[in-house]
Amino acid sequence: MSRELVTRWFSRLASGEQDLPLLISEGNIYTPRTALNEVMRSSELGNKLQALIETGRFGTTAYEEEQVAKIRLRQILQAQSEKPLFATLSGKVFTPSQLLQEIESNTAIGVQWLNNEKTHMSLLVSAR
Amino acid sequence: MPALMNTFLFVEPLQHYLEYGTRVMQEIVRTYRQPGQIITELIGDEANKEKIKQELQRLNPIFFFGCGHGNVDVWSDECTEVFMRVGDSEVDLMKERVVVLNSCLTAQELGPAIIDAGAETYVGSKEEFWFFVGDAPGTTRSVQSPFLAEYQLEASILQGKSTGDARQDQMRKYDEEINYWTFGEGKDHPNSLELSRILGINKGISTFLGQSTVSPSPRPAILASSFLSPQIVFAVPALLVVYMAYKELQK
Repeated sequence: MSRELVTRWFSRLASGEQDLPLLISEGNIYTPRTALNEVMRSSELGNKLQALIETGRFGTTAYEEEQVAKIRLRQILQAQSEKPLFATLSGKVFTPSQLLQEIESNTAIGVQWLNNEKTHMSLLVSAR
Repeated sequence: MPALMNTFLFVEPLQHYLEYGTRVMQEIVRTYRQPGQIITELIGDEANKEKIKQELQRLNPIFFFGCGHGNVDVWSDECTEVFMRVGDSEVDLMKERVVVLNSCLTAQELGPAIIDAGAETYVGSKEEFWFFVGDAPGTTRSVQSPFLAEYQLEASILQGKSTGDARQDQMRKYDEEINYWTFGEGKDHPNSLELSRILGINKGISTFLGQSTVSPSPRPAILASSFLSPQIVFAVPALLVVYMAYKELQK
């Protein structure tokens, strides 16, 4: 495995994903962009993050994963304009801040989004 | 009487944001319908309880599709009018049919009740089904994408596939759409992050119950009616019989 793998991995991600927290090492959260920079500098942290990317892991516990998922969704939804963007076939309509409220409060809908975010993080970290 | 092959009933309401799904389904029916298929679409005001019951009895379709708001034990049509609840006699109208409810939560109780009532297959969602409403219905890929993935099942069934094969196509289409917004051409769209999540959720909650070998519109029937005249349909087997008889005489 090599730095090229990390570069290729980074370039496959959407620009919006490149600056969302994804990897955890020793209790600190890192975005793909930080990981790429550290790998390119061949720093000790870079080596640890590269190992995570190569093995398709976040390096977190289940509790930490959920916290990272929540931070990611917060950043995604806070970046959107405040108008109805999301609807369900049970008749509910949400603006980004209303949906975020569900997520922060761990309602059934919030948990649905958090669980999916963890699945999505797996998809991203194992992308090749 | 058994439900009639090649006969389809689509319930397509418009109010309460349901136009987002209905516009996509109308396009799918227009694109994939085959000669010989009897297809009825109840759109907008026609998607009401009385009309649906009337058409179920008149057509006796093998395939029933309904887009509508729902909950664990209930499915509704236009303007959230309740069509059926677990325990209602309307559930028995689903007997012998392939039933698809594009709706929230019905896979928890209503879907199993539909199977218990004798339906061949049920497809629906066990949690909230999500879609994007940031643009007007039918105008952008963003608003169509969740339904393009979900309705691949109907597109494949209209083309003659079995319920099981159509289900596989539906899951593949979900992966295609997720890939489009996550790693593909759509990844840098302003709403790509939300759309990849919406599709991931909908795929994860999609539920298939019952038979996977039912073909509501068997492929040979479609092929015969699409490409061959009735004379050729009968002539080819007849020629084969004559040829085999000739070979036997030569021995």
